[in-house]
Amino acid sequence: MIPRITYICSQLVKNIERNLFHMFGHPPKELALAYVHEHKPVSSPQKFSLKDIIGDGMLWAVPKFRRTNERKLKRKFGSPEYVLKILLPKNNIKVCQDCGHHHEKGRLCEHCYTKVKKETQEIQDKIQEKLGLNPIENDVVVLYEGEKLPDEPKEFWNGKRIVEMKKERPQWFSKNLLQKTTQQPSDSTDVKPTDLA
Amino acid sequence: MNQAEVSKLVSKLRIKVPPKHRKLPNPKGPEGRLDKLRKTVTGLIKYERIELNYNRADEARQYAERLISEAIRHGDCHKPTMDTANFWLLEKELVHKLFKVLVPRFENSSVAYTKLYNAPKPQYARVLDKAVLELKGNPYPELGNKQTNNKYFIQNILLDAAKHEYRQAKYAEVANKIGQAGNETSPVNTENAEKLNEKPMSS
Repeated sequence: MIPRITYICSQLVKNIERNLFHMFGHPPKELALAYVHEHKPVSSPQKFSLKDIIGDGMLWAVPKFRRTNERKLKRKFGSPEYVLKILLPKNNIKVCQDCGHHHEKGRLCEHCYTKVKKETQEIQDKIQEKLGLNPIENDVVVLYEGEKLPDEPKEFWNGKRIVEMKKERPQWFSKNLLQKTTQQPSDSTDVKPTDLA
Repeated sequence: MNQAEVSKLVSKLRIKVPPKHRKLPNPKGPEGRLDKLRKTVTGLIKYERIELNYNRADEARQYAERLISEAIRHGDCHKPTMDTANFWLLEKELVHKLFKVLVPRFENSSVAYTKLYNAPKPQYARVLDKAVLELKGNPYPELGNKQTNNKYFIQNILLDAAKHEYRQAKYAEVANKIGQAGNETSPVNTENAEKLNEKPMSS
């Protein structure tokens, strides 16, 4: 920082000086100090020229100032206030209670949600298909294949519209997880083979 | 005081309403914003569950709640309410649904009529937050976690107590065993020690 400021200041002073000389002319030579150099150098100094250094090559732009340590570190790792470039552990990952997949805290589990979304889309399509453009006056009850209406009094069914899905109810979409709603107890007498591998 | 009670004039929503509305930037300005929200509210009433950007969902949710609440308060013979419903529902068959399906469904409810979930977000992508907005009492499979708060179910409390008791009994058993073993071995040790002590004495 300090080198930059001194550089800018010196440039400023130089500019002012040059402009002043340009406007009012150079100071008269009488003001110059009389000075006599006694010991003249014997050997005449060689003229400095860039060609001696570069030769046939060419000159690129180069850094003018040194990069400070802070600046270097910030370029390398980023800063916590803006963007951090280093990898950080995520502490907001949770395990879904239903399926065991990981999901972000406060969000739906992706695995469960895709499942539900697909089923929801199917039901929605079915409802829209059945409904058409008529005024909607009844609530919807969704029934899957092989399901009967639950035991309710007749008044309960007065204002309902039944939508039938042409497939079995998915196992996870059941109100009573202890009972299978669609599967009958099997009568097969097959026994699983035991002495395999 | 000649002031009317405010709570009787305006329906109090059961959700958190932020002090400032969202502008939902739109080239048409505020009108465009309302158009967007009307479409969303219509969709919500029609499909009962929709997925959309979080900001728009949260904004539309407030209007939907207000609409249902007004419908419950005033019924379908109230002209201003009917006008509101006509404004917010772009498909007119949904006006029937609002008064004939949703009002009976939510009449006796003491909580909010809608639910807002944060939708899952891809891990390494810069995308807008998505949300799932739904009407309660819909026929679709449940979205929320079904087994979250079952810690205080009576069965689980009893099972935990039984487990604790069993573990305590086991610990006591093990402690007893160790104690007995210690009692058996300790006399032998003392005898050995005496012998060791005697040896240098005799020599």
